[in-house]
Amino acid sequence: MERREALRLMGAASVFSVLSSDLIAATLRAQLAANKAGTLRTLSPAQNEIVVTMSDLIIPATGTPGAKAAKVNEFIDLILTDWATDEEKKIFLEGLAEADRRANALFGHGFATAPANEQAAIVQAFDEELAASRNEKLPKQMRSWELTLVLPFFAQMRRLTLVGYYTSPIGQDQELKVEIIPGALHGCVPEEPEVKQ
Amino acid sequence: MRTVKKPETYDAIIIGSGMTGGWAAKELTEKGLKVLVLEAGRPIEPDRDYVEHVPITEMKFRGMANRQETLKDQPIQRTCYACDEWASKFFVNDTENPYTTDPAKPFAWIRGRQVGGKSIMWARQSYRWSDLDFEANVRDGMGADWPIRYADIEPWYNYVEDFAGITGQAEGLSQLPDGHFLPPMEMNCAEIAVKEAMARQFGRERVMTIGRAAVLTRTHNGRAACHYCGPCHRGCITRSYFSSVNATLPVAEKTGRLTLRPYSVVHSLIFDPQTRRVSGVRVIDGQTHKAMEFQGRIIFVCASALESTRILLNSATPEFSTGLGNSSGVLGKNLMDHIMGGGADGIIPGFLDRVQFGKRPNGIYVPRFRNVSSKEKNFLRGYAYQGQAEREGWERGIHESGFGASFKNSLRKPGPWRMTFHGFGECLPNPANFVEIDKERVDAWGVPVLKIHCEWRDNEKALLHDMMVQAAEMLTTAGAVEIHPFKQNNPPGLTIHEMGTARMGADPKKSVLNAHNQAHDVKNLFLPDGACMVSSSCVNPSLTYMALTARACDYAVSQMKKGEL
Repeated sequence: MERREALRLMGAASVFSVLSSDLIAATLRAQLAANKAGTLRTLSPAQNEIVVTMSDLIIPATGTPGAKAAKVNEFIDLILTDWATDEEKKIFLEGLAEADRRANALFGHGFATAPANEQAAIVQAFDEELAASRNEKLPKQMRSWELTLVLPFFAQMRRLTLVGYYTSPIGQDQELKVEIIPGALHGCVPEEPEVKQ
Repeated sequence: MRTVKKPETYDAIIIGSGMTGGWAAKELTEKGLKVLVLEAGRPIEPDRDYVEHVPITEMKFRGMANRQETLKDQPIQRTCYACDEWASKFFVNDTENPYTTDPAKPFAWIRGRQVGGKSIMWARQSYRWSDLDFEANVRDGMGADWPIRYADIEPWYNYVEDFAGITGQAEGLSQLPDGHFLPPMEMNCAEIAVKEAMARQFGRERVMTIGRAAVLTRTHNGRAACHYCGPCHRGCITRSYFSSVNATLPVAEKTGRLTLRPYSVVHSLIFDPQTRRVSGVRVIDGQTHKAMEFQGRIIFVCASALESTRILLNSATPEFSTGLGNSSGVLGKNLMDHIMGGGADGIIPGFLDRVQFGKRPNGIYVPRFRNVSSKEKNFLRGYAYQGQAEREGWERGIHESGFGASFKNSLRKPGPWRMTFHGFGECLPNPANFVEIDKERVDAWGVPVLKIHCEWRDNEKALLHDMMVQAAEMLTTAGAVEIHPFKQNNPPGLTIHEMGTARMGADPKKSVLNAHNQAHDVKNLFLPDGACMVSSSCVNPSLTYMALTARACDYAVSQMKKGEL
């Protein structure tokens, strides 16, 4: 059934309880699958390896898949290619080189080929430096059009990893279990069990 | 809807198909008139154009907007919160639709050129004005008096509410009259806690109520109840919120007397000095750029406050050398908008085992409490708050530290409840805030553009400061922590409540329009949109535009029947 037709029926007859919104979501996902991302356009294979590894350290697979499975690297490549300014891109790529330099200095090999505990130590250092450099929390009122990636490398990496993961099909459907069409409003209900319409 | 190829003569021509144009189309066709609606932009097909259910996973930039393209084509529109990656197509291309300002005095002119206009992306907040508003100018002497009072418009509020469907809670407040409401939406846990704390502290002086919105909480006039998907500004396939596409234009269409012509950029009106009437409209076809004319017995200019005034300014004649219908000299003057961007947010402790289910397309509202019964020393008039509480989402992780499995698990569940108050303050009418035609520039269709002169002045700045301070005080009262007061430096226009520049009035020497939105100088010319406003109130204006339009249509048709028009 066409999504629009389904919704029109739902609207006309108020049959939310009969028609599953999951069914509609599945139709949407099928359309999405036809629309796959292409090859990388900014990240070199070596840079991509670092991005894949680092993003998956930030959001690893747990009970649900992590950043690697969600192809956060492809999202980051898209942002670097079609969204970021030259300055923002330069900071990011320089940060990847810095990760490699630190791995070489500390452990004698590149970041991507290091064992997991060494990679985690480097990410830990980046994270602690970022935390120390924050004088105060970034304003919550920052509007989306004011969004900038003129930020320290690891602030870019954190933001892009989280956005790339939580807005991916894995992040939306498996991790957050987002419902596009809740079908009802309840102002104040227990968190568990979930209210389903 | 039908479109025409050949110019024809109509009983009425309506310029614009947005909030007021849609209402005029419904009212005039229902009263038996053969109506032509001229819309500058493209047609809208809900099946094709509405995108409210497109998941963020399908968006190329995952909600981060097509930054490079919007920086080039929509540098002004992109500053509007609703001009997001989904809905940016409902906002104009700034390079095709230029206007000018003093570089030191920016004005954010946010526009939608398509069938439905900005009624597609509006925030749906729907409140009645009161005599606190209609008497404001005469009470403190700033600006001219309104030619109407609440009693004049009350039946028309009833009328438009009954058709549109407004959800809300009656509160019995003199400064914010109750309407004919559909059932209210529920407040969430944190909002209820804040409301109760405010009631203990402020009694009836500062009341927090659920927002009044043009969103259906049950089936109404053949339109379905809201399904709480959230982003109304991207469209609504179930037609559950009010827009001209969802509600008024389909009714007009059903009469068989509506002709809707998209891609019809109005250049100017044709004034006949013999009859002292407008005989028709000069149009540039939006696609072919061909010039054409349409004739009508009456003309309703519903192009949005500043576009309507621009049309009159561009319709100057030897007699009306400064703009059609401008014998008073006030056309273009007294531009207003609401000042916004002052407020505060904070964490409301507790309720961590409770959630809100469903995305409520509405917030809470704190009606004006300044200069209602009190008299403030530092400013005239007042402001109201919109706001909401919500549990923080995964985005909070961007500003936190930590990584790995425990970090990921902590972001899976929503964070604490954050309550935000955003103030909206009244702007005083001031003739030094004005628009004129910039003789140096034309838009993509060769129509001379506006030069806008507008800035916030001391009274608006004082309101902005007070709305920040009082929001923080209310949060303190409610036991909030991590309170963050804010005061943004927004240009006028960004609130998208721009109004005035062709004001109503009893005195033809001091106003452009009479008490029925009819031009004093040109009897068959009506402007019922935001251009007509004499003061700005702090209350969202759209419901008032709807009521004034329905009222003006009723008057126009009764005058036609009497042979006066």
